[in-house]
Amino acid sequence: MTDSEFDVVVIGGGSTGTAVARDCAIRGLKTLLLERDDIASATVGTCAGMISSGLKYSDEPDIMAMCSKEVMHFNHIARHIIMKNPILAPLLDLSDAASDSSYVDSYSAHAEEREVPSMLFLTPEASREIEPMLNPDIIASVYYEEFFIDPFRLCMLQTLDAIKHGATVRTYCEVIGFDISNNNDIQGVVFYNRVTGTTEKINTKLVINATGPWAHKVAKLSGENLDIRLNKGAHVILDRRVVNVGITVKAIDGRWIYLFPHENTTLLGTTALDTWEDPDSLVASFDEIEYLLQSIQTVLPSIREARIIRTMAGIRPLVPEWKRPEGKVTRGYRIIDHSENGGVKGLISFTGGKLVMCRHMAEAATDLVCKKLGNTAACMTHKQALPGNDADVDVSALSKEYGIALHALERMRARRGTEMLKVLELTKEYPEWKTTICTCEPVIEAEIRYAIREEFPQTLNDLRRRLRLGTGPCQGTFCTFKAAAILSDELDLGGDDFLVDILDFRAERWKGIRQSMRGEQLAQEELTLGMYTCVANLDQSDVDYDIKPWEEGS
Amino acid sequence: MILESDLLVIGGGLAGLVAGTIATESGASTILLRKGQSATAFSSGAIDIIGYLPDAAESISDPLEGLTAIAGLYPLHPYGVVGYGDDVAPEEVVDAIIGRVRDTVVWLKNHLQGTIASVMGDFNTNIYPITILGTTKPTCLVQETMNPGDVNKHEESVLLFAGITGYPDFNPSAAAKTYLEDRMALGQPPHKIGHCMTQLMPFRKCFNISSIEIARHLDHAGSIETLAKQLEPHVKQIGATHVAIPPVLGFRHALKNKRELEKSIGAEVFELLGFPPSIPGLRLQRALEEVYTKAGGKMLVGHEATSYTKTGQKIKTVVARSPRREISIDTKAVVLATGKYIGGGIAGDEKGLRETVFDIMTVTADYHSAKDILPSKATNRLEISPMGQQLQWCGLSIDPQFRPIREDGLEWADNVFAAGAVLAGYNYSVEKSGLGVALTSGYSAAKSAIKCIKGGGEN
Repeated sequence: MTDSEFDVVVIGGGSTGTAVARDCAIRGLKTLLLERDDIASATVGTCAGMISSGLKYSDEPDIMAMCSKEVMHFNHIARHIIMKNPILAPLLDLSDAASDSSYVDSYSAHAEEREVPSMLFLTPEASREIEPMLNPDIIASVYYEEFFIDPFRLCMLQTLDAIKHGATVRTYCEVIGFDISNNNDIQGVVFYNRVTGTTEKINTKLVINATGPWAHKVAKLSGENLDIRLNKGAHVILDRRVVNVGITVKAIDGRWIYLFPHENTTLLGTTALDTWEDPDSLVASFDEIEYLLQSIQTVLPSIREARIIRTMAGIRPLVPEWKRPEGKVTRGYRIIDHSENGGVKGLISFTGGKLVMCRHMAEAATDLVCKKLGNTAACMTHKQALPGNDADVDVSALSKEYGIALHALERMRARRGTEMLKVLELTKEYPEWKTTICTCEPVIEAEIRYAIREEFPQTLNDLRRRLRLGTGPCQGTFCTFKAAAILSDELDLGGDDFLVDILDFRAERWKGIRQSMRGEQLAQEELTLGMYTCVANLDQSDVDYDIKPWEEGS
Repeated sequence: MILESDLLVIGGGLAGLVAGTIATESGASTILLRKGQSATAFSSGAIDIIGYLPDAAESISDPLEGLTAIAGLYPLHPYGVVGYGDDVAPEEVVDAIIGRVRDTVVWLKNHLQGTIASVMGDFNTNIYPITILGTTKPTCLVQETMNPGDVNKHEESVLLFAGITGYPDFNPSAAAKTYLEDRMALGQPPHKIGHCMTQLMPFRKCFNISSIEIARHLDHAGSIETLAKQLEPHVKQIGATHVAIPPVLGFRHALKNKRELEKSIGAEVFELLGFPPSIPGLRLQRALEEVYTKAGGKMLVGHEATSYTKTGQKIKTVVARSPRREISIDTKAVVLATGKYIGGGIAGDEKGLRETVFDIMTVTADYHSAKDILPSKATNRLEISPMGQQLQWCGLSIDPQFRPIREDGLEWADNVFAAGAVLAGYNYSVEKSGLGVALTSGYSAAKSAIKCIKGGGEN
């Protein structure tokens, strides 16, 4: 086989696509992953990172059981990127407690398996001791625990592991067509390389369509119709961990929403709106922001004093169940073998699913692939650890050894586990790379250089996904230009590319900042404009800047 | 505690300090309140007058041309307002504006002479200094330490960008590439550009070095020789005639350091325009404070105006609070120079935009009330573009005496004057007009305030 012959092509570099590529590669299949943008650049990057116990899906006991098992698998293979959040669901009146209380039993049924306590009811006093910001009028609260994973790192680690097992990964390659034989069998994939501007073609036996909200469009390229229910979810992001624990509450329309401490920030989400918008230009609306604030305000009256730094919005690719609210649509997933209904052979698509299920989805799809290809290898993805999971890391000792702030190292550990030792190794030759580049997160120069060398980023935005660069309160005001210079240095970019990287990164940050601009963020934005527009004069720059989808129109 | 003054200036950035100095020099007793660090201290330290008209693609080669255009196109621009005083005849509007701005530029140059932020350049032409990204921008005055000389005019000039290891704010390689591509596209000098790194290790640190640490280090005797020694081989290697360094040459001795460096390495040295924390910005701030206090003005740092009493159309008293005390200041006039969002003069939440000291009506770019405008609605899809952000145009609407006006078009008070970024009608980041407007409006507001104080008996 040559470099243009593959057993399987996986389209989509989100949580599912990277999981499938990893599974296929581990089972010895010649695998190619094609992603039109960057790894984790769409849906998965806009989620809260909760690998849910399935609490909200108590109507679907099988799914709850599966979620619980998957949580434990992740704790086994990727514990270094997992956090456990205690959560309070404060109750303001008895009707909050009375309605759908079956979840208490179904959650508790799997609690032991996940090594968390059963669901508890707490008094208002006990609740406020845990979270003093809670409304004093609450009558009780429910206490439980959920696990969270860094969704960007999960996708990146699955990708790196796939590469380690022989997979080829191509980012910025958008599939534009299929090569289909006369007997309706997919034989090849045609894609456009967005970096070089060229079209390429490879041959493959099978194609897995793991493109989330684009699944129906990719299927259509082969002439197949795929029914899918697209549903928009938006988050509001606060500048720091404003609560000690996660808070869940019934929103003004009776749906559940949450406020979760997440990395160095807090996420308030989500909304659920059936959508037909282009995922590329999707932004949170004013109504969504107010819906979330109004809803959480009932139990956290002072929430509006918190500083909002940005919003983010994504699209859930739900299983196409219609005439019922989003919350009642199954959280399970479907694997569609298009050949089954007399359609094109060799194309397998996904609809539905959740972050927590991505490994499970991959296993099921890879089983099907293996069956078709006569491969008998067993799935190992729940047994083999992801890179960095090998051992505990003593960050205090490393902090003393390298003279780097403990906080910076703790954040690096949460991204890389034992792999951080390779980053620190670089500082022995280049001690100046201990310099903090992103002060919000923080991220040191050595980790930026390491990520550029080992994790194939093409742009500053790609670096953000790998490092959380520019995701804090200043939203990249102070690190955009510094990190752009390092990227320019490592990739030997020209002066124009250096400026384009800065403008691209600012455009992407602005997409989320703009929708919720208020309060402190007005001063932050004046500072950003003062630097990049007033001093650097980039508004007048004549570099070749491509208008982004969300920047089009008036 | 109760204090008395002829003029109370609220805000200690360039606009407030200029207003305070003018008033003090005219014999008015002046108290200035400064809450925290001003936006001036965050600036690059260059004094922009006017570089572009809003949404224009071509820069303006001299302030004269820019001000003439503003007089015609944007009469409500703070520069434009100057031309509509009672004493200005209709055919003299443009001359009045140009005359006033020219006066203020001369005034500032003279007052900064001999301070740690002495400036060069003049009103008749814009200059195009280089920034730490290797881009250029039009401005009018730069500090003498930032004088790029004839680097972009002299055919034989060779420019060396020099960085400091462990100081991440400036990357000489990226800046050199950007500037080189820019100059090659124009087919203009310098004919050669290089870059290098130096090891300064201020306070023995080799990483996480800040501009403030370097500037303090270079203020110590002997430090500049270390830098010169580091630069020398690189200068020789490419035959550099000019060396561009980040803006860190020192607080007290920056100009002396520049000259010493030049003498040692045999090339002209200049600071680039940089981002906050900005040493030239801090130098300018300190120099202006010195000018003001030397003139006899009183300054209360860490004091915030929290309440006031108004009798009829006049502010009588303003209460200022610091962490430890509350002061009541009886005053005859007030200059409000509290800045925009960074300074804290204008605040915005989901209810709208408001002026923070007196709650005077704010207006949008179109001069509609901004009281109920959701801040996010006053933004554009593009963050960085010549159109700018509408939010940056919002602020107070004023009469030709720089008195803020209310919904009904009348003055909010007879003795309150506004200056600087708190004003509506201009967008300094796209126009490159920030400190210029602060200067002219501070100067103008003070002149009106003085008139008001002197004629105080009449009302």
